Amino acid sequence: MTTSHLADRASDEPDVDLQPLRFTVNGTLETLEVESRRTLAEVLREELGLTGTHLGCEHGVCGACTVIVDGDAARACLLLAVQVEGASIETIESLADGDDLHPIQEAMREHHGFQCAFCAPGFLMTLKALLDVEPAPTRDQLREELSGNLCRCTGYASILDGACAAVRAIQAGTNNA
Amino acid sequence: MREAIAGKLVGTRVRRVEDRRLLTGQGCYVDDVQVPNMAHAAFVRSPHAHARIRSIDVAAARRHPGVVAVITGADIEAITNPFIGMFSVAGLYDPRFYSLARERVRHVGDPVAIVVAESRRVAEDASDLVEVDYEELQAVATSGQALADGAPAIWEKAPDNLLLTHSHTYGDVDAVFADADRVITQRFRQHRVSNQPMETRGIVVEVDAATGTTTVHAATQSAHSLKWALALMSDRQTVRTSVKELLAHRDRPARFVAGVKAMLAANPEMKQGGNPMMGVIAKQMRRDPRRLVDMQRAMVGLLAKDRADRPEVLARDIGGAFGTKASVSREEMAVYAAARHIGRSVKWIEDRNEHLMVGGHARDEMIDISVALRNDGVILGMRAALTLDGGAYPSFPFGATMFAQIMRVMIPGPYRIPVLRFDTTVVATNKATYVAYRGPWAVETWVRERMLDVIAREMRISRADIRLRNIVGPDELPTPMVTGPMLDVRVSAKATLERALDVADFDAWPAAQIEARNAGRILGLGVATFIEAAPGPPGFTEALVPGMGSMAGGEPAHVVLEADGMVSVITQQVPHGQGHETTLAQVAADELGVPIAAVRVIYGDTTVTPFSVVGTGGSRSAALAGGVVTFGARALRDEVLDIAADLLEASRDDLVVEDGNIHVVGTPARGIGFAAVAAEARRRGSTAPGTEAIRITQEYDGGEGGWTQATHVCWVEIDLETGQVTIPRYVVVEDCGEIINPAIVDGQIRGGVAQGVGAVLYEKIDYDASGQFQTGTFMDYLIPTAVEIPDIEIHHVETPSDIPANYRGVGEGGMILAPAALTNAIEDALAHLGVRITEQHLPPTRILELAGVIPR
Repeated sequence: MTTSHLADRASDEPDVDLQPLRFTVNGTLETLEVESRRTLAEVLREELGLTGTHLGCEHGVCGACTVIVDGDAARACLLLAVQVEGASIETIESLADGDDLHPIQEAMREHHGFQCAFCAPGFLMTLKALLDVEPAPTRDQLREELSGNLCRCTGYASILDGACAAVRAIQAGTNNA
Repeated sequence: MREAIAGKLVGTRVRRVEDRRLLTGQGCYVDDVQVPNMAHAAFVRSPHAHARIRSIDVAAARRHPGVVAVITGADIEAITNPFIGMFSVAGLYDPRFYSLARERVRHVGDPVAIVVAESRRVAEDASDLVEVDYEELQAVATSGQALADGAPAIWEKAPDNLLLTHSHTYGDVDAVFADADRVITQRFRQHRVSNQPMETRGIVVEVDAATGTTTVHAATQSAHSLKWALALMSDRQTVRTSVKELLAHRDRPARFVAGVKAMLAANPEMKQGGNPMMGVIAKQMRRDPRRLVDMQRAMVGLLAKDRADRPEVLARDIGGAFGTKASVSREEMAVYAAARHIGRSVKWIEDRNEHLMVGGHARDEMIDISVALRNDGVILGMRAALTLDGGAYPSFPFGATMFAQIMRVMIPGPYRIPVLRFDTTVVATNKATYVAYRGPWAVETWVRERMLDVIAREMRISRADIRLRNIVGPDELPTPMVTGPMLDVRVSAKATLERALDVADFDAWPAAQIEARNAGRILGLGVATFIEAAPGPPGFTEALVPGMGSMAGGEPAHVVLEADGMVSVITQQVPHGQGHETTLAQVAADELGVPIAAVRVIYGDTTVTPFSVVGTGGSRSAALAGGVVTFGARALRDEVLDIAADLLEASRDDLVVEDGNIHVVGTPARGIGFAAVAAEARRRGSTAPGTEAIRITQEYDGGEGGWTQATHVCWVEIDLETGQVTIPRYVVVEDCGEIINPAIVDGQIRGGVAQGVGAVLYEKIDYDASGQFQTGTFMDYLIPTAVEIPDIEIHHVETPSDIPANYRGVGEGGMILAPAALTNAIEDALAHLGVRITEQHLPPTRILELAGVIPR
């Protein structure tokens, strides 16, 4: 969806307070005008078509909407879009390199990490942000770090199996490089 | 690569076909659907538990810029038919209601208007501008209040708030109880919980303004059920108008009638099946004559409908459901009606607060149970009286009424219960709808397994012995349960119990527990065993409701060889996390001898999937869909080999298929592929539609059906400073027949156990005494995280059998059994303090109260 579509829509709405927004999403600079009350998650999903970021609770508990903002995992449902002016955002859509899955995705696939997978993008981005700064967490650390993301299907064991395998795979890749 | 080894896929941890899409953010869940010119809906909901609506003023909302329409209960009554329960058992009163309330609201969150606007946020803004003048009424917040003298009636035709009362007696119960050595009686309370899938409910009704056709993008467990429910209840018109239309368009009902005839021809038992229900339906109509009018208007209206006036449903990726999306909701109906009414596409995505408040609640039961015993602990008989708090509006098309029947039939479990009396009471209260949640009848297992521990302690028998003395063993099989269903020779509940006791080193437990206690640690161990009809023996549903068994029909599937040599499996199942795109492909690929990549599973689209109202639920799909795909693929293989034999100028019996290559034994280099067979089939004048070469349409009635069984053992440690319960070890021993994909089976078990642990230690849907809803966020309704869920150790038992497609369901068992094992462990830990656990929700404060650490 484009910004012009947004403008058409906004014209029907009362007292719409549009703010300019420039930020980088998955390496691409985006320039938009957004209503100041809209969340980052809404703008990613509705304006940029990045529907991989899911909204599970819209009150900051479930973690399904987790994206990476300037290197840190953040809840896109609790951030207003205007708060990320100038920031660099990474979403689930940036994780794979074309057809090549990221080692985290590959490990989750191998270990049947998820079932309905609605929560998966949040877990994967939380894990990506963690492993970027802490490449060798233990299983117990992973359990703690991932406890801000809810999954209702799996009982978490398969997600932890996948996370541990991802750690091993990334380390093996680093060692081989 | 494992997946490439054809013929050996079933039984291996094949990676999921779904995952490449879902792990890259490329899934398409209902909120991801965007259609042209789409408006957005929000509901105006009651803030009161029980109130009369004096008036509704929508003028300000309608004037709000960006608002497309505001539709109230009065509008809905003019443009739709009411929800009409289709399910009939003796003693049932099925209330009549619409998707929006008009005169009266019956729970907090009851929808009274729907606002459609250019965006969700504008719709929400405008919904605040709808002024509803309420006159508050006394509310009924519990089944106790509902049954008290002078309680306000929630439904005028049910002045005593009873929606279902009946009693079933199997054998001479009174005589057995009179002669018993001991009778032990206990009341158990099961609290209200909620499914809470990570994706809430939602729907996009896509109206094609040019053609007038409607496509419903849905998050549903049963696409056909949603389609026909929407068609039946929408576009209300008088019988006179419908008849006029029928006379003007005599062709319209023809297809419909032809379809019904074809279905009856395929399932001849359906014709007799409906009969036992007819008397009950007639009785209901006498009680509320409007039912007859409603039914007639809806059915004749449906017959008169042009095909374009019926929706097609499209369900793609679904973010979990656990039963709640098996219902056709009032919200779905209201959004559909609104979109049809204004002639524009409308999206509604429920928020989490709504989903907690009205998205589906479950459990909320009380059972009074008495067990008659011989002095040696042998059970002679059982009496159980169920009181189920069904909330105000019954789930459609099935809900509390049906689950109460399963509770009755299943309460004996795998044990010998020679006589049984079961009284059923379903009560209306001012609470949200009671829906299916992963083993909706689970209270039977919890109460029975809790009661066995109570009996063991009262009679000073070991908790293992009380079970071993009463459980049905292999030497007694086959044998019918006292409630009717047959336990066949594959029932291995006793084997799972014995294995679990062994794994747990149960005999050593009492000493270990005392030793720990002497060292200042409070430990407990709980054991519980169950069986689940997954899908149950032949005739199982007849034991639930006479007449119902035949109405569901068999499990259909199309197994298709496409022109390009690929295989399509087209199923009525609507997977929402179970991985059917993988498991059904495994089954088909093995039968056909092709790699899994050559099989595509198609689901969720009513324009192509075979008709069934059942959908996915009830731990049925492994057995039924696994079975129908087995036999459909086998039939396709026969046809493929016939053609291949001609092409290869060889005898059919000499052909083998390996990795998609059909060849004479020993000469793989001279083989042909499925594409060559498809080309030949089309050259010969295939009658298959479109780009298909050969289409097999298969139905499967479940064959021998059967049972899944398991024993769980749970260890707990309790901190009496904080009341915190931790689970250092958890063991599952189960038998679900042949396993299609062990990673998926283990995932289902672990996920179920996690929900059971959540229900006992954390989760509770709460209302205050005036019916005000208390748990509207995830900070109130606590879903367990990775930190709270223990590692779960799974052991598989498989009873040898030569029954083909010996797959049984495993989706619900973890959730059914875990609360029993966990609460049994907690009682064991606190038994030395004289604690008896008779309720299921045990958060830290309750543990401390029970242990006497803090006052009650």
